[in-house]
Amino acid sequence: MGNKQTIFTAQQLDAYQDCTYFTRKEILRLFDRYRDLAPQLVPLDYTNHPDVKLPYELIGSMPELKDNPFRQRIAEVFSEDGEGNMTLDDFLDMFSVLSEMAPRDLKASYAFKIYDFNNDDFICKSDLEKTLNRLTRNELTEDEVRMVCEKVIDEADLDNDGRLSLEDFQHMIVRAPDFLSTFHIRI
Amino acid sequence: VKEFVALSTRDRIRAIRDLAMSFEEKKHIRWVLTDKQLNLYCYTCNKLHSQSLRRCGYSIRSARQTLELWQGIMKEIGGKFGTSVLSYFLFLKWLLMFNIFSFLINFGFITIPLLVYDPSPNIPPNVSFRGLEILTGAGYFNYTVMYYGGYSNETLIGLVDYNMQLAYFFTIAVYMVLCGIALIFSMASSFKENYVLADTVSNSAWQLLCSWDFSITNERAVRQRKNNLRVQLKESLSERAQRELLTLSEKLKHFGVHLGSWLLSTGLAVGCGASIYYLYAANWSLLQEAETLLVPFVVSLMNLVVPLFYSLFNKFEHYSSLGRQIYALVVRNVLLKMSILAVLCYYWMNVVAEKFSCWESMVGQALYRLVIVDFLFLMLGSFFGEFLSNVIGTRLLPRLGVPEFDVARNVLELIYAQTLAWIGIYFSPLLPAIQILKFFILFYLKKVSLTQNCQPPRRTGRAAQMQTIFIALLFFPFFVGALSIVAYTAWRYEDMTCFDHYKLLCHTSSLESKKIITFRTKL
Repeated sequence: MGNKQTIFTAQQLDAYQDCTYFTRKEILRLFDRYRDLAPQLVPLDYTNHPDVKLPYELIGSMPELKDNPFRQRIAEVFSEDGEGNMTLDDFLDMFSVLSEMAPRDLKASYAFKIYDFNNDDFICKSDLEKTLNRLTRNELTEDEVRMVCEKVIDEADLDNDGRLSLEDFQHMIVRAPDFLSTFHIRI
Repeated sequence: VKEFVALSTRDRIRAIRDLAMSFEEKKHIRWVLTDKQLNLYCYTCNKLHSQSLRRCGYSIRSARQTLELWQGIMKEIGGKFGTSVLSYFLFLKWLLMFNIFSFLINFGFITIPLLVYDPSPNIPPNVSFRGLEILTGAGYFNYTVMYYGGYSNETLIGLVDYNMQLAYFFTIAVYMVLCGIALIFSMASSFKENYVLADTVSNSAWQLLCSWDFSITNERAVRQRKNNLRVQLKESLSERAQRELLTLSEKLKHFGVHLGSWLLSTGLAVGCGASIYYLYAANWSLLQEAETLLVPFVVSLMNLVVPLFYSLFNKFEHYSSLGRQIYALVVRNVLLKMSILAVLCYYWMNVVAEKFSCWESMVGQALYRLVIVDFLFLMLGSFFGEFLSNVIGTRLLPRLGVPEFDVARNVLELIYAQTLAWIGIYFSPLLPAIQILKFFILFYLKKVSLTQNCQPPRRTGRAAQMQTIFIALLFFPFFVGALSIVAYTAWRYEDMTCFDHYKLLCHTSSLESKKIITFRTKL
């Protein structure tokens, strides 16, 4: 039932619908968006699982992402190789987590990964400094940057180890009701 | 993985989706759980059955998505202005759904049976359609199915015996109850998710890590947000350096200013209510039909002008936090609107109901006029509030700058408009159709006004809490008020003597009937 499409097998579509928050129509529409980034690289037939990765430059040029200060971190977190080069599965996964139907805990764990620049499972002071610089266009003085980072760790660090773990972060997210709507990209 | 095996299929799927793992791992887990299941017998048909059920659910979800209205525009607004401004448009769309539902069931259960039974409206020969009816709602419309008086209370004999009186009452009651349930549900879920007692907006950690709006896609908006964040961070740093200590005399002065503002605002609200009452009571001379627009005009003018005074008072007062400032403004506006509505309803229930026999149609007409004039004033308000502010802010007084979209004031106007529609459903069953048209046009108008005249908000972070407050306001007091008015009317004035009143008129002498017609169209 539904429109005839030859891009995916029925099992593949089922797997996509089960593992993401998208409907069939949205998955096909997202495939079109993915293909539009590089029509010569992406085949029209995914039934035999081709191994196609789009480089980060193409992903980062999408209108939904190109002005986002964290676009590189987002692509790195969701890509398989950690460098920002995304397969279709990574692409769908990324927009699924960033859609409005994903639950708060899932979004919080991915947001944590995005802000964790050195990938050590903790948000330490250097990660906070990098986040702050991305968000303020490098216009705060060094003293101010240091003070803000210290204040953040003071306020959010619950186990007093000088850095934020995932639990600290999630505890903070629980008290921030707007997070669900701000950590959201419409596509 | 082991704990997933114990769950039902639907919970399992949900749990897999909620895993914070890469796509490959999720697919692998899914394959492990579904294909390698140790089912005893009928393994394939069990799997196919659950899969076809899931596919059915997905296709229903897909179909529902095609009916979604304005997706592209919402994305554009959210991308440029952020989620707090978008919440106004989502609220508007949500209220529109209420009205569409109301129109469908009213039209289906009340109007269509009557039209099928008696398709030609009984209009007296000397009344014809002039253009003025669209504004005043009287005259020609008075004899159609627009108002309470156009419906009969007989049992319609046709294929089935359709008890019109019961159907009328029952349809409206069911609609109000369903509305109430929907509102309670959304209020409860919004409260559960969004309401947090601690004020985290001034918290640096929150500002840095949770406040960035990922949905903004416009380069200029991003730059502006970055600037705002920088300013906010600097402010919070300097607050930390010097905490404000107020002396006793300063505290007393602030308290005095607060008290004065509250007294003034309450006085203004009460004064508006009283003046509307006297305006209604004094309007007794036999004037032309256009004079009936005076009261709605005054009501809408008050609704437009007095909140501006409240904003002015706000500027003189000193609040410890932005949240308290917004709450005070909202409470004052709500008091004003409620006092106006209370006076109008009191007048209709007690004075109009005693004086006339067909008062329900008159109240219906009055509400129709209120809705139409409110719409005109909303358009005017948009013009003056946003367009003129933009012109003043950019050309005449550059210090003011480009205006921001005032979400609170606009949402309160929407709530007021919806309350009028809810009160009016009993007296004029087709009023939701007007409301649908009004909201439809309003959406496009506000969108154009927003994109041409306003800039994104400077201070962020209250959207979710404000949303909860607005839904709570919509339900209580406005919906509850409307419901109690309708229930009180239905209970106390149960005789539908208003029906077929045009037949009575046709039988009296022409002179008398002329006097009665002009007398009745006065309100």
